[in-house]
Amino acid sequence: MFVAEGAPREHCRAIYEALRKLPDDHLETIQERVTRSFSQEGITFTVYGDEEAEERIIPVDCVPRLLALAEWRELEAGLVQRIRTLNLFLADVYGECRILRDGAIPPDLVLGCPQYRLAMRGVSVQGDAWVTICGTDIVRTKDGFRVLEDNLRSPSGVSYMVANRKAVKAGLRLLYRNSRVQDVENYGSLLRQTLCELSPGGRPDPCLALLTPGTYNSAFYEHMFLAHEIGAELVEGQDLLVNDGFVYMRTTSGLRRVDVIYRRIDDDFLDPLVFREDSLLGVPGLMNAFKRGNVALANAPGTGVADDKSVYAYVPDMVRYYLGEEPLLQNVETRLCRRPEDLEYTLDNLESLVVKRVGESGGYGMLVGPHSTLEERDEYAKTLRADPADFISQPTLALSRSPCLIDGRAEPRHVDLRPFVLTGAETRIVPGAFCRVALRRGSLVVNSSQGGGGKDLWVVDL
Amino acid sequence: MLSRSAQGVYWMARYLARAGYLSRLLELQVQFLVDRPVDEIHFGWKRIYRCMKRFPPSGEEFLAEADEFALADAFTLADDLTFERSNPDSVRSALARGRENARQMRHCISGEMWTCLNAAWLRIRDLEAVDIWRTPEVFYAKTRSEIHNFVGVADATMYRGAAWRFMRLGRAVERAQLAASLLRAQMELSRRAERRTLGWASMLRTHHALEAYGRVYGADMQPDRVLDLLVADPSLPGSVLATVQAAATELAGLDGGPGVDADAAARRLAGRAEALILYDWPEAPAPEELLEQVDRCVRRLHDAVLGAFVDYPIEDSPLR
Repeated sequence: MFVAEGAPREHCRAIYEALRKLPDDHLETIQERVTRSFSQEGITFTVYGDEEAEERIIPVDCVPRLLALAEWRELEAGLVQRIRTLNLFLADVYGECRILRDGAIPPDLVLGCPQYRLAMRGVSVQGDAWVTICGTDIVRTKDGFRVLEDNLRSPSGVSYMVANRKAVKAGLRLLYRNSRVQDVENYGSLLRQTLCELSPGGRPDPCLALLTPGTYNSAFYEHMFLAHEIGAELVEGQDLLVNDGFVYMRTTSGLRRVDVIYRRIDDDFLDPLVFREDSLLGVPGLMNAFKRGNVALANAPGTGVADDKSVYAYVPDMVRYYLGEEPLLQNVETRLCRRPEDLEYTLDNLESLVVKRVGESGGYGMLVGPHSTLEERDEYAKTLRADPADFISQPTLALSRSPCLIDGRAEPRHVDLRPFVLTGAETRIVPGAFCRVALRRGSLVVNSSQGGGGKDLWVVDL
Repeated sequence: MLSRSAQGVYWMARYLARAGYLSRLLELQVQFLVDRPVDEIHFGWKRIYRCMKRFPPSGEEFLAEADEFALADAFTLADDLTFERSNPDSVRSALARGRENARQMRHCISGEMWTCLNAAWLRIRDLEAVDIWRTPEVFYAKTRSEIHNFVGVADATMYRGAAWRFMRLGRAVERAQLAASLLRAQMELSRRAERRTLGWASMLRTHHALEAYGRVYGADMQPDRVLDLLVADPSLPGSVLATVQAAATELAGLDGGPGVDADAAARRLAGRAEALILYDWPEAPAPEELLEQVDRCVRRLHDAVLGAFVDYPIEDSPLR
């Protein structure tokens, strides 16, 4: 929000002044109301390994984060370029493998990636929309926006974008009205439109289903919310069956054909006949129906190879390779420990780097150098040496901070943002994001599963 | 409608009806503690336990007619029926299950219904018996009225699709079972009681039927008239006949299930229960037996509904 101490950015000035003029306890009252509305509406998230808190509320900070429309447009262009590239990459690595043959990416990096699905070789995807729903994690550093992670499997958080907006808007009515904030609440209808475009053979009025692992999944609230928003049935694997290459769901009036499945379960569990055979969440024969073009899956299986943390390092090269353009959105500088020189650098600089496991997500299995102890670093170095290819390292970023209401006072906290990009017949983005906050002072970890919170992002036209 | 969703909404309604009914029973029972003779208080506890098909926490001597209820204090019994987590039918458990089904089927009900129910759950979730024991009747009245509210909010906001039908069906089946069960408990216990009239007035109050009785029969309270009203008056919303008819209506409004006549068994059972009351009840030589037959029909109706719409064999189901 600020360029320097007490000096708000241009587009934040009006809102900063308005917030400053609010009576002392007003924001606190709003904060209470926002929290209460989340509790009453049961907008919850489950934290693993925490039995008591089966349904936990993601704490929401009522002070919105602001972005100028012009900045947003820039980010948007970068996202569109990136997602186009990633879709081309996926079509390529499951098709001709041009990029591997041309040596632009080491073939073993892609073909040896655990997320590379042999079952998808030679499969064509409707409109080449491999990644229908993408949630890219963006951070802002002093040099501008950087992509921290492409989430191409089943990114979550979009329901909180809408819920946070609803709650914060209700709290700051006048301010919202005067700030000309870009609307995000049409996300559901855009998603519906996007999914309908995937309908096999263009079948009109397709039957949509959202496939959830079930009510114990941490993101169950979101699955329910989205099913409602897009008018899909919320199904579990047990509700579906495949007959003669078509997918059906069990309804009260018989078996009904399903055309498009927005699946929120991992590749591994999709179809026990193709992937993990012990999966009880999936549907036997689903992959066969998919390959025969009788059902669309969003996202397509196998997209995880493109958001692998090692492959990530090559996305800027992919943009140049496929589009012949310079990337508009930059990566965070990333070192692949599979390269000896990068490993050496990482080991020498552990105390200043962030080291992540390639296959982990959700903030698990990472080392934040500056916040670690010597023992932790020594321990980590051992595992790092044992299997270098499993790790990458990045500099510890000076993440942008945004004011949050902590114990009645505004205090700066680190934030990132996750905009959602939809790809069907065209690419669609709502001007907003799930904005995550590291609520612990000084912490850089914003993941909801690690005690992070949420914030509303306002793209303002001021 | 997805079968599993239909089942969820159906169970939601059943559990909430159960929580509401039990709250009403307990609301009256704790009022008795203030001014009723001891035998009537004991009679009330026995009737509730028999209706819920449960033994009091102190043991199974209940069946042997040893007067456990004189020993167990009201607090323990109320706690067992209200907050006991291992009792699947306690008010708290039933509300928790109703709410959990609603949570999983939130996309099938209106947002207003969900917030209404969730607020009720959040209020009761962390309570214990000691928290309510100063004015327990206030707690039970509030819980009951929250469930009434939920039903009203549903009536005002819910889309009249298949989910609506299944919800109403669940509510009707549960209420029919509970009413039949409570009536049977009352008949059996009062047959053995010293005072023939014991418990009949509270049967009317349980079903909000005191005013209705006065309107139909005047001030003279007679057990067989009370029984007639609660079993066979179609205008009394909680009577066995009214709830059975409600179930039949909802079944008729559904689109018939996966195949030709898939729901025939369910419709026959609802019709049979209705016919038993309409045609056999007025001159029944053994009303208790007849009520038992009705009760059995309603229990089988539950299985028939799930068999027709949820657990049907897929082999001969049409593909759409």
